[in-house]
Amino acid sequence: MVEIVFLTPFITGIVAFFLPKAMGRQVLVGTGAIHLILSLLLWMNRPEAILNGYFAVTPEGLLSLLVISLLFFLISVYTMGYLKASEIQSENIFIGSMILFLSTMTMVTLSDHIMVFWIAIEATTLASAPLIYTHRSSASLEATWKYVLICSVGIAMALLGSVLITLSLEIGNVDVPLSFSALTQVAAKLDPLWLKAGFVFILVGYGTKMGLAPMHTWLPDAHSEAPSPASALLSGVLLNCAYLGIFKTHKIMYAAGLSDFSGTILVAFGLMSILAAATFILKQNEYKRMLAYSSIENMGIIAFGTGIGGIAVYGAVICMIHHSLIKSSLFLSSGNILLGYGDRMIHRTGDMVSRMPKTFVAFFAGFAGISGFPPFGIFIGELFIIVGAFRTGHYIAAGIFILSLCFIFAGFANQVMKISFDDFKQGDSGKTMGLTEKAGMVWPQYILLLTSLMLCFFIPDTLYQTIVDAVTAIGGGLK
Amino acid sequence: MMHPVDTILSLVLLSVLFSFGSSRLPGLILVVGFQGIVASIVPFFIGHGMSAGGVIFTFVTLAVRGIIIPMSIYWVIKKVAIRREVEPIIGYHASIFCGLGLIVAATFISRQLNIPTISDYTLLFPAAIALLVSGMFLLMARRNAIAMVLGYIMMENGIYLIGTTFSVRARHIVEFGILLDVLAGVMIMAIILQNIKQTFDDVDTALLRTLKD
Repeated sequence: MVEIVFLTPFITGIVAFFLPKAMGRQVLVGTGAIHLILSLLLWMNRPEAILNGYFAVTPEGLLSLLVISLLFFLISVYTMGYLKASEIQSENIFIGSMILFLSTMTMVTLSDHIMVFWIAIEATTLASAPLIYTHRSSASLEATWKYVLICSVGIAMALLGSVLITLSLEIGNVDVPLSFSALTQVAAKLDPLWLKAGFVFILVGYGTKMGLAPMHTWLPDAHSEAPSPASALLSGVLLNCAYLGIFKTHKIMYAAGLSDFSGTILVAFGLMSILAAATFILKQNEYKRMLAYSSIENMGIIAFGTGIGGIAVYGAVICMIHHSLIKSSLFLSSGNILLGYGDRMIHRTGDMVSRMPKTFVAFFAGFAGISGFPPFGIFIGELFIIVGAFRTGHYIAAGIFILSLCFIFAGFANQVMKISFDDFKQGDSGKTMGLTEKAGMVWPQYILLLTSLMLCFFIPDTLYQTIVDAVTAIGGGLK
Repeated sequence: MMHPVDTILSLVLLSVLFSFGSSRLPGLILVVGFQGIVASIVPFFIGHGMSAGGVIFTFVTLAVRGIIIPMSIYWVIKKVAIRREVEPIIGYHASIFCGLGLIVAATFISRQLNIPTISDYTLLFPAAIALLVSGMFLLMARRNAIAMVLGYIMMENGIYLIGTTFSVRARHIVEFGILLDVLAGVMIMAIILQNIKQTFDDVDTALLRTLKD
């Protein structure tokens, strides 16, 4: 049963490579819908996996899975309109890769064996590489090359980390399966030295994929060169998948009583990412790169919160969910802007408020949400993280955190104002608006933002319970 | 007495030096292929009692790491007739000197660590560390994109060499999955290399620096 959730898109993904254009789009949306239903069934029933020991349903995995599934469905609806409006060569490769990407990410969320987890993460890199190269330009080629090479090398580090954890098992003389859940149970008996070394390598490895500074260099390139639906997937859910690996390893560290060690490193990497994002966002002149740096910032916030512990972990998970919802809506809106103005540079856009009013509403609301304004969820998440940091006496770290957020807000606001309200100067090419805002290309963003809004006021009990289950395993909670 | 594993591993250490001094790509590919073969046959000598599945898996690994992966890179060179220099950022003499330092450091570190399970095989851990670090060195110190991919493969071989000693626990199916990922990764890199050559007419990564802030 558990395996069906990732096998279904795997099969349809392969089939989609050979389908004609018209059918491919329907298959994309159909797979998204089926996947959403399967994920909801999985959420309600929480069955045992057939390949027990390799796959398992865990609270943190379920949270990511539901986010992936919801996002993919909405993004696939958007993609229908996007593909009609833009010209993409070899559309079947694009659609096939999208679906395979969904399959591999689903596999990540359901993996329990540490090596299977690694295999799934590396598979996400491979499945998403063709997405970045969709436009077949020299810039997109460069972005793909950097993405594949940097991520593969990074993830190789995570493989080394996983091997070192095996070594800690060997030296500690424990005989259990190599799954995250089994390792967490016997964590106290593992050799602490090798466990620490393993954690560092895993953090560097999956951290590369998650976009933590200073290993983030591939991220702005890949996110800006990929077509917007793919960027939305990369930013909204792929980064969470990589975070899941760090989360699960941190869980072993917590159970082994080494959470001080791993927490400190997480805090350091988190702050570094937020600072790096603050530096680059201020002088950014491309809007998609700006959104990419904002993703680095948010991943930094999540890592920071996870490292602080206590109530901040709860905040980090809240941030993770809402970042996915809001950031993917922003990337989809950026797709509309790109189609409308035909340019990625901020100074070649302008006056969006009257030219594309519906996209403007989505983009501006998304901006408010991602900057941490109430009533969107990131506000609550960041508040919990700051409270957690003060409670645990991380005064300096909290100071840097708050200051960087202010800088990022300033930079972000400046650029968004330019896009929205500046006068639009017609370029040399004399390009005019190429997009009428079709319902299918604005409603997905609205639904994503409304979901974020709704989750702020009302969290269903089952969702709340799952979040609490996930965070108590690494010493978090609302107390 | 010296264990046979140590004898072949000493060749791996020498091959690291060779790869640092090698200026031409075909030579580098041969070295990487050799390292792949050694990394995949080492489990044969480290007696964990091989099952039939284990033997088959070892042969598959040998075929992939020692033959298919190096051949696919060689095929890229043939197909796009790329200039066969590796375009060093750090010169060859300096590279060899770094290599020597690396081998000494790797041996020293593994003595300090003193891991009980592999204490019979003196050179296993040093060879693995040397492969890992020299792969990274090639990634950083060469501008030619193919040399960088070869560096990545070298790193993977190093990790496999460490992993193979502790992987009694990991099932073959899992190891097979890892192997498949690495293979698919190299294939995708090979495709990207061809596209880079077609677009830029060279595989010098200095051309790939237009995207920045």
